[in-house]
Amino acid sequence: MSNVNSLLPQAVTIMDITSETPDINTLRVVGSDGLPFDFLPGQCAMLSVPPVGEAIFSITSSPTCRECLEFSIKNVGKVSNYLHSLEPGQKIGIRGPYGNGFPVEAMKGKDLLFIGGGIGLAPLRSLIGYCFDNRIEYGKIDIVYGARSPADLIRKSEVGETWAEQPNTDVHLTVDAEFPDWKGHVGFVPSYVTELAFKPDNKIAVTCGPPIMIKFVLKALEELNFTPEQIITTLEMRMKCGVGKCGRCNLGPVYVCKDGPVFTLAELNQLPGEY
Amino acid sequence: MKKKIAVDKLPSLWASLAEEGPLYLPIQEGPVVNFQPWQDQAQVAMEAVNSVVSPKDIFLPREETYLHYQCKGQELELQEVNYKEKITAFGIHPCDLRAIEMLDRVFMDQDPPDKLYCSRREMTTVVAMSCTNPDPYCFCEVFDVDPLDAPGADVMVHFSDGYLYLEARTEKGRALLDKGKELLEDGSTETQEKQFEQTNFGIDVHDLPENLKNRFNDPAWDQIYKSCIGCGVCTYVCPTCYCFDVEDYGHEAKGERFRCWDSCMFGEFTQMAGGHNPRPGRKERVRQRFMHKLQYYPEAYGEIACVGCGRCLRSCPVNLDIVQVIKALGGEKVEQR
Repeated sequence: MSNVNSLLPQAVTIMDITSETPDINTLRVVGSDGLPFDFLPGQCAMLSVPPVGEAIFSITSSPTCRECLEFSIKNVGKVSNYLHSLEPGQKIGIRGPYGNGFPVEAMKGKDLLFIGGGIGLAPLRSLIGYCFDNRIEYGKIDIVYGARSPADLIRKSEVGETWAEQPNTDVHLTVDAEFPDWKGHVGFVPSYVTELAFKPDNKIAVTCGPPIMIKFVLKALEELNFTPEQIITTLEMRMKCGVGKCGRCNLGPVYVCKDGPVFTLAELNQLPGEY
Repeated sequence: MKKKIAVDKLPSLWASLAEEGPLYLPIQEGPVVNFQPWQDQAQVAMEAVNSVVSPKDIFLPREETYLHYQCKGQELELQEVNYKEKITAFGIHPCDLRAIEMLDRVFMDQDPPDKLYCSRREMTTVVAMSCTNPDPYCFCEVFDVDPLDAPGADVMVHFSDGYLYLEARTEKGRALLDKGKELLEDGSTETQEKQFEQTNFGIDVHDLPENLKNRFNDPAWDQIYKSCIGCGVCTYVCPTCYCFDVEDYGHEAKGERFRCWDSCMFGEFTQMAGGHNPRPGRKERVRQRFMHKLQYYPEAYGEIACVGCGRCLRSCPVNLDIVQVIKALGGEKVEQR
């Protein structure tokens, strides 16, 4: 018999809200007693705002950050829209963590290539922060990050300055088209990956972004001779329960909420492509 | 411990059992029989073959509030709602009990257990009733269900010669017979024999889960879904369908959160906030439903998520039932020569 209702949220407080782009805010939340739960990079949480309901979001902060949980949230639906209307000090509901998270142990000793697009940086940031806080465990780190325009790049100073200054780390920013005052690379993320011609030796590539970007990044990596086992991505799906029971986020027999959201391309190749 | 009770004394037994909490029985209302909490004068239809909707809602209610919220300014108060009453589920057929055991795999055994489901399940005494008159749509034996016996029952009952015979199989079952002991007589001499033949619709499902492993992209799906109108009645009446939705009801100051049945046949089921839908059409949704029953669930739990209760055959308005699908996917029985 279970004494805990896995669907029951607990209350947390929004400490502050940062506007990242015109449609993305980062919320910092904290429980009455610190973090509401421990988690792994890449895991998700269900945020709830009565009377609008619940939606699942990836945790943007690293588990090494003990002050708060961070969520970078794009305003696209009912719940995210409501979250964008809130002010610091507001209490909201949270439950989790859900999902498998990134394989941080198996990635030890490897060079890492992170490829993000737009809001797709949200789950990667948790992992990247974790790797920097355990820097000695990981080899060379390359970060390719792009968005439609300079205004759509989230956490621009952290990515372009803090991360770029880390030892043995290169950051490669790009935007889709020419913009005044943008002196960096111009072009889509997948073609930038091809252009940068990363070598697959002892490397793990981790990618997240819009479905169309992921599709072409996977192709670009395979053309650079990365094997499906070396390529990791994280999926998003509509979810209601987060624990593999409500029936909507499955790829064949696998539930993205509990068996994912992180998969290697080798794993995805074995599953129906319903994502 | 085998007992019997004269059929005309059953209302007294119902009254006695209903004192402890809801007593679910197959109850006739107009032309429809469904499991509902018994009340005095209710028209109990023990002889009905299968209720229109399965009795899964005893454990997974159509809607169930599990949280009350209150907002004052920026404060948020969350109050859990628990289930505490005893339940008696009386007259559950072996096919339906097998289906409930399939829900048990998902809601009790698979981590984390679902507290709402577990509470109801553990508070319930299941009185299963053997089937003596299957209708032309019943095909439970295809799935190795014994229509005369439900191994997971707390009490197993059957009708014979004006009596209902009751055999307690568990502690809960013995407690139930004890509760009704004033009304019960010794029934130890009675044995039951099968007196009917059931159809198998010419299908054999034993190799189906294995054979469907690589048939996600099979051209058969391009035809199978075509008559589906997406009404979702199959998922509603099905004893092994368990998909649910979670929604809030209320306003900004207070309200409740509930879960309710949902259906993989509906487009919105997988529709994401940004507009993307991984199962955008009827083909993908029909394929999901049947692959889940015939391949995904068996891969996870070792048995097909169908018990041959016949409800989808009786209810589907376009006759797109699981028998047709099994045949289209190569489950046609090959006669031994």
